[in-house]
Amino acid sequence: MSDPVSLTDQPVQEASTTPPAPGRSRHLSDRLLTVAFISPALLLLLAMSVFPLLWALYLSFTDYSATRGGPATFVWFENFTAILTSAQVHLRAFTTLLYVVGAVTLQTVLGFSIAYLISRRVRGRGVLTTLFLVPMMLSPVVVGLFWRFMLDAQFGVINSMLGSIGLGQVEWLTKQNTALISLIVVDTWQWTPFIMLIALAGLTAVPKYLYEAASIDRASEWFRFRTITLPLVWPLLLIAVLFRAIEAFRLFDLVYILTSGGPGVSTETLSFHVYKVAFLGFNTGTASAYGILMVLIVIVLAQLYMRYLNKLKED
Amino acid sequence: MRYPKRIGLLATAVMLVATTVVACGGDEGASTSSPKAPADIPELTKDPLTLSFIWFDWPPAKALEAFANAEYTKERSNVTVKVNVVPNANWHDAMFTQFAARKTDFDIPILDSQHIGEAVTNGNILDITDFVKKNIDVNAYNPYLLAAYGQFPQAETGKRDENASLYGLPLLGDTWTMIYRKDLIGDTPPATWDEMIAAAQKCQTENPGVSGLAFHQANGSDAAAVTYNTVNGVYGGNLWDSKARKIEGVINDAAGQEAMDVLVNKMKPLTAAGSGNWFIDEVNAAVAQGKACIAFNWIAASGGLLDPEQSTLGKTREEILGKLGFATLPKQKTDLVPLGGMGMHVSAYSSPEKQAEALNFMKWFEQADIQKKWAAAGGVPARTDALSSPEFLNAGPFNKVYADSVSRMRDMWNVPEYARLIDIENTNVNAALNGAKDPKTALNDIAKEQQGVLDSAGKKGGGGL
Repeated sequence: MSDPVSLTDQPVQEASTTPPAPGRSRHLSDRLLTVAFISPALLLLLAMSVFPLLWALYLSFTDYSATRGGPATFVWFENFTAILTSAQVHLRAFTTLLYVVGAVTLQTVLGFSIAYLISRRVRGRGVLTTLFLVPMMLSPVVVGLFWRFMLDAQFGVINSMLGSIGLGQVEWLTKQNTALISLIVVDTWQWTPFIMLIALAGLTAVPKYLYEAASIDRASEWFRFRTITLPLVWPLLLIAVLFRAIEAFRLFDLVYILTSGGPGVSTETLSFHVYKVAFLGFNTGTASAYGILMVLIVIVLAQLYMRYLNKLKED
Repeated sequence: MRYPKRIGLLATAVMLVATTVVACGGDEGASTSSPKAPADIPELTKDPLTLSFIWFDWPPAKALEAFANAEYTKERSNVTVKVNVVPNANWHDAMFTQFAARKTDFDIPILDSQHIGEAVTNGNILDITDFVKKNIDVNAYNPYLLAAYGQFPQAETGKRDENASLYGLPLLGDTWTMIYRKDLIGDTPPATWDEMIAAAQKCQTENPGVSGLAFHQANGSDAAAVTYNTVNGVYGGNLWDSKARKIEGVINDAAGQEAMDVLVNKMKPLTAAGSGNWFIDEVNAAVAQGKACIAFNWIAASGGLLDPEQSTLGKTREEILGKLGFATLPKQKTDLVPLGGMGMHVSAYSSPEKQAEALNFMKWFEQADIQKKWAAAGGVPARTDALSSPEFLNAGPFNKVYADSVSRMRDMWNVPEYARLIDIENTNVNAALNGAKDPKTALNDIAKEQQGVLDSAGKKGGGGL
């Protein structure tokens, strides 16, 4: 048996010079063994993720249709130009922006507030945290379906409760000014726990001695929150915001179940629109370009955001 | 040692090339015209075989599976019939995504009449013209029904084109019925659209908590679009000029605008608050719970209204029928009613023995005695003799409505661009009904956007936006 210290100190290349273990073929070096073990996962990744992405990139430059078949003719950047100049796409982009900003802001405020309150509680913290996490564990389709029933203007429990306290009926899912709000509320119900969980991890990690020092200096609660809690939790919270914003940007399932994009197209998000382009007319080339553009937007925005986070860390 | 790295790179490249070849290979043999079914049914297998249909989830789908397994197996004991169902909103996608993969887990797709154009153009279903000539008595049908569920190009004038090819045979006929509360508006149904609106208004005023009207308004499937198309037809409008492929200026002409005005400004105010996303089930629920004076729904979906377990209108079927009446749609400037229902088709990607079985099933299903049995089992047949048979007319109070409506039917566009045309109409009518768009703007947008879809057929790049 080799000395463990010398093993960890050796450069990786030299590990292959170790003689094969008894029973192993002399031709099977450590490097080959590594390749053999990694290959299945790597091939799966290539086949299921990398290849479809590259294939979609190729199709995005063509007029290919999955149902019409036939050869894909190159149209170069025509799909991209059409998407970027389409008023229909601009409308969906604006709806998506409203949704992302509304949902993520609400979830961040609520998630952090709940985490802050839970972190100050000593007894029952575990049970409370687990209970708050339940919505996050449900399928968005299931969440959409039961919220659809609850928000039904005629038969839903929400309007029934409003009626019992003397308030009028609200058309939650069929009016332009309430449908998007309903989507934001449902998404917030499901995903606030995610922000709460990350914020709670950050809050728990704040060293107690900082608060003790602040107490000795007779710092107020607000001062402690502003100068100790928030600055230390902020970077972690921003990462949670990044994850949620990316998720919200590609929202599809809740829209599909709750409003079908209606009334009219007023709650159609970009993802929902891509679905229509891809499956109603089977314009696969255009849908691929649309998808690629969405991925590019997420990558660029995420990069800018990460740079800001790194700068924050350096500061 | 360098070669393991090279092996890794080589493996990656091989994998990418292989997947590319596999993916590209999917298009081999892709055809843009439908393959032909043989005129004679090939020899059928004696091995156990499951014949799979695909339809959307509604009572006729369950009725078909039960009926076929009870009756068809008397002739073909080795065959099991399975009707796979998907939610209505996914119906088109569920079929056409499989068509796109050139592999289907169904043998008989039940296509809406308007889907035929897309399926034929893409070569997804068999051309059964020769099979029909040899095996089906075409004179036993109302020509328009035979054309609507199988012919492409579409029968525009309501007459079958003898020279056009056939790609399907009728499975289930359907149209809208007017469901009215006899105990609230009287035994005689309104004869005209104006009278219907007046009766609904009066009933709503006299019965707090009960809305005057209930109809399809949702923006999924073809819900809101069929509602507008129905009112458009009744008020003398047209959906398009098929020969000139012109929609702009046709659907939004004076008659079309009047129809939209009637729908949004006269009918919508008589519906329940929040009914802007109602479709088949919601309209039935409103009727069954006694919340609507007059409702419009597809006949094939109306059977549940007579089930005392689902209704608050009575404890027995007779008691419910004492309160509910079923009538043909009121007339106004014309007597047009929407054509519903679907045909059976044969997947071009099924195995030869399953295609043979599918053809045999279709031949069996279209026989006079089987059509009558199908009617008795809850189906709506298409053969004229079955439509006038006591088995059909006595099976449900709404069946006579269908029989009386056959000569009044009008369908939508049966073109490859159907899915996009219906989406444009659905979203705009839904927007108008829910106050998200002014009715006139909504109708003009429908005309402009639909015309854009027809005009951009064949355009390279950016299609589908």
